[in-house]
Amino acid sequence: MQLKALTLTNFKNYESQTLEFSTKVNGLVGKNGTGKTNLLDAIYYLCMCKSYFGMPDSAIARHEQDFFRSEGHFYKEEEEFKVVAKVRLRKKKELECNDVPYSKLSEHIGLLPVVVIAPDDTRLATEGSEHRRRFANEILSQLDREYLKHLIHYNKVLAQRNAALKKMAAEGRHDDALLEVYETQLLPGAIYIYEKRQQLMQDFLPIFTKTYAAISEEREVVTCAYKSALHNKSMEQLFAESRTKDKFLQRTTTGIHRDDLVFSVNEKPVRRFASQGQLKSFILALKLAQFELFRQEKGSSPILLLDDIFDKLDESRVEQLIQLLSKDTFGQVFITDAHKHRLAELLAQANLDHKMFLVDDGKVEILD
Amino acid sequence: MNFSSKLIEDSVNAFASLPGIGKKTALRLTLHLLSMPPEISEGLCEPVLKMRKEIQFCATCNNISDTVVCSICSNTARDQSVICVVESIRDIMAIENTNQYRGLFHVLGGVISPIEGVGPGDLNIESLMDRVKAGTSKEIIMAISPTIDGDTTIFYLSKQLEAFDVKVTTLARGISFGGELEYADELTLGRSIAARRLYEE
Ligand SMILES: [Zn+2]
Repeated sequence: MQLKALTLTNFKNYESQTLEFSTKVNGLVGKNGTGKTNLLDAIYYLCMCKSYFGMPDSAIARHEQDFFRSEGHFYKEEEEFKVVAKVRLRKKKELECNDVPYSKLSEHIGLLPVVVIAPDDTRLATEGSEHRRRFANEILSQLDREYLKHLIHYNKVLAQRNAALKKMAAEGRHDDALLEVYETQLLPGAIYIYEKRQQLMQDFLPIFTKTYAAISEEREVVTCAYKSALHNKSMEQLFAESRTKDKFLQRTTTGIHRDDLVFSVNEKPVRRFASQGQLKSFILALKLAQFELFRQEKGSSPILLLDDIFDKLDESRVEQLIQLLSKDTFGQVFITDAHKHRLAELLAQANLDHKMFLVDDGKVEILD
Repeated sequence: MNFSSKLIEDSVNAFASLPGIGKKTALRLTLHLLSMPPEISEGLCEPVLKMRKEIQFCATCNNISDTVVCSICSNTARDQSVICVVESIRDIMAIENTNQYRGLFHVLGGVISPIEGVGPGDLNIESLMDRVKAGTSKEIIMAISPTIDGDTTIFYLSKQLEAFDVKVTTLARGISFGGELEYADELTLGRSIAARRLYEE
């Protein structure tokens, strides 16, 4: 999968910009805050219909503009996919592929597989479980369209059940029949998502441990385990047992929205016991394993977006990563860096086919 | 827009408060009325005022009505054993336009959506149960849009109806009615009523 051309209108600080990319490595250099990451986000947006960095559409539209547009010309072997995202604020988001609009955005996810490695990925290990669920969801929704449909449905019903619990508490009148209705509606999605997450971790773990071994100099044992209340009890049972607690706390306290991934190094939690170096390798290995899993499942390399990797990774890991990129398993890569020359030198050293772009406040020029 | 007259401005704002009418159209309508004799304006406002003051909601089904009980409920030629449950009055109009349905209606006034502040107690569910308790109903048709909240509502109602000897049916789903009954064309809506089937969870 390759992105040959990108045209942005009112996307963050880009008023109007067209870029033609190398099908191998694209280096985006420039001072911080000039819009390098915005270019990566514009590419991610075309693949996933949303910002990687959790930016709402209203914040993506350029200052005082009420719409933005991103158009990408992607190629899978010889086949072209022209993907256009048109967003008018306060209107329904529109996405087209080869001039045909999607009736549901979820139908697009997975067509253009993408993997992002960004500085705040360390949150995956250091912060709350929502980051790890998001990681699993991001993988599964690109591999399985049914998964995403179930997840969207589950989240909508869950929000209604939580709102119902709050309303009932406020009115002092509990309606168990309605709670049961919501539980029944949650059930098929919960079961589907649980089974897919379990399957994912089985496929993912061997790739992950192999990747970690390849990038780490030490010999520690790493694992990544799926934690879910559904391991021991059925969803029906869990809902029934939690209902009293749910009413008291006014939210749904059990379900696949409480799942987690448990990361460990030498059988100890990464969060508390891993060294800074181990943590960095762990996170990088998670992302590279995601890449490898996509490559195996999709039969072609996903687009890889590397944001500011020099910022959080030390030099030896960056060099290792660049070395990895020269293997033929990698396809098209986009890398941002604040230093104008560092990246170009590394890419030249590794003998990687590349194109460099200088980004300066919403304007991009090609560097020779 | 700048008006030299406060009266004109008020009229424009009144029109513009209606759905689908912008300031420009509102001004055009206002100036049009101004160019016509005063009776035209009276003829426009009087029926609206009268409608708003005198309209009633049917004591049985909550349909709009000029009398305590609406013309559908009081029509003895209609099949009294079937009640078609709809979200809004507009759905009744859509279904009536198909000429395919000869039973009665019940307007819920929305679907269950706690996020929007709508729980079962905020809908006309109790009055539906009262009608079913009276014992003349044999079939309840759920003509509710196939959204998540629509599903919740159908499922909730079907559970409440389990205690009674009535058949619960839904519109045929294979036939798309575009998400909302209101937008369905008469032919497909008529077909999906005719092809309704027993509700299963
Ligand atoms: Zn009536």
